[in-house]
Amino acid sequence: MDEEAMELLARRAGLDKALAEYRDDVRAAAMQAADVAAKIKAPASPAAEPWPPMRAGRGL
Amino acid sequence: MTDLHWLTVTEAADKIARQEVTATALTQALLDRASKLDPRLNAYITLDGQAAMDAAEDADREAAVGRRRGPLHGVPVGIKDIIDVAGLATTGHSKILQGNIATADAVCVEKLRAAGAIVLGKLSTHEFAIGGPSFDLPWPPARNPWNTDHHPGGSSSGSGSGVAAGLFPMALGTDTGGSVRNPASACGIVGLKPTYGLVSRRGVFPLSFTLDHVGPMTRTVTDNALMLGVLAGHDPLDPGSAPSLPGHYAAALDRGVKGLRVGFVRHFHETDMPAAPEVDAALTHVERTLQMEGAEVRTIRLPTLTEFGAVNRVILQSEAWSIHGPWLRERPGDYGQLARRRLMPGAFFGAGDYVKAQRRRREMIAEVEAALREVDVLMCASSMDPPCRIDRPADVERTYPRQARTPFNVTGHPAIAMLAGLSVEGLPLSVQFVGRYFDEATVFQVARAWERAAGTDKKHPPIV
Repeated sequence: MDEEAMELLARRAGLDKALAEYRDDVRAAAMQAADVAAKIKAPASPAAEPWPPMRAGRGL
Repeated sequence: MTDLHWLTVTEAADKIARQEVTATALTQALLDRASKLDPRLNAYITLDGQAAMDAAEDADREAAVGRRRGPLHGVPVGIKDIIDVAGLATTGHSKILQGNIATADAVCVEKLRAAGAIVLGKLSTHEFAIGGPSFDLPWPPARNPWNTDHHPGGSSSGSGSGVAAGLFPMALGTDTGGSVRNPASACGIVGLKPTYGLVSRRGVFPLSFTLDHVGPMTRTVTDNALMLGVLAGHDPLDPGSAPSLPGHYAAALDRGVKGLRVGFVRHFHETDMPAAPEVDAALTHVERTLQMEGAEVRTIRLPTLTEFGAVNRVILQSEAWSIHGPWLRERPGDYGQLARRRLMPGAFFGAGDYVKAQRRRREMIAEVEAALREVDVLMCASSMDPPCRIDRPADVERTYPRQARTPFNVTGHPAIAMLAGLSVEGLPLSVQFVGRYFDEATVFQVARAWERAAGTDKKHPPIV
């Protein structure tokens, strides 16, 4: 993720104050997010559903 | 006679019931030990000595007339400081929540008290159970009683340090990416992450809704089973609570492992994240011991640790961002640097990343379930290295992710971490056993067989 994209996403998330005061931390977080998301394989089937399963009427 | 501070939960409860020891004497002994050792260990954030002594006196008055509230009557406990205890601050070890007084006990604390336990105080954690060990917070990080220059693991750092050092015989921890099992591994005690949903999380400050677990931390497997028996049970007001009845966790404790099938997930520590030679040797020793005790050990293959870790991180950080986003926007300077760096990645994931991680998660659950149809229990590494020095951030950064605990937060299976041996430097090495959903009894059975064969429950840190 380049600096421009990082800044754009950080501002969109409302992290202006963190960008001004802790820019290195925001950059480190953005890099970590990009790195970790790339390590997940695509699910084997387009029909693979997420966890936890949707169960109407439970846990409310 | 055993020093009061080394009494196990089971021994203490028995002695108090038979009036051989009073809860007052035990509580006072633990408070004295805390005044002596805690300045070096930093296990406590809040020590509530007077309330503990008052509760101990009540317990003794009841014991004197033959009344026993439950199996933990008169036994002291420490509580991780993201769990509410009525009247005490729940700080999350963070400036953000300083002075945040809880108005009610968390369900897990309520259950411990109903069983007779005495709350001693609130314990150090990594900030909000994610950012640590940190030196830029209002309280110092906990230290490892085996060597106070070393990290006690986290995030339930004070729980691990205090149980191992004899400050209390049991503690509550929480585990979202391994935070009960990491300090259990680093401090040489027994830490269980139960099946997801078995123990209520109501009254516990959340880190990640679909990964958070509350778990018991003790010095022995028997105590862990006893404590789980008190904690387990359905809570209709916790949306993640499983509609299950508590099991008989101690039922199979001393049955041994003859005939049990143990699946050894070797690739975790052999190829995914090659373990330190001492850890590798300790795991081989556990394997051979279980074989000698009659277990059949097979090799099992699961998805890689790298992918389990990535799925865990995307889910954890996305869910944590939804909790911490408002504070990170307004008060970024009130977090320590590590928490800030570990909580902000959630701002950079897209919805697609989160859903993809949850879809892969379901596939990973299916793979672990398939493995657990072939064997009765899984065995694998917990930490790939002995605990590193706490004052070397590069070592902490390098060793922290070198672990095999997150897979079972992703899948929700019960997993226990415990002592597997000591390094040449005298620091704990660890092993992990993993079971089928709600089959904690078999996990305890295997863990107890290893504990009995190796005498791991008799090993205490040399701190005095």
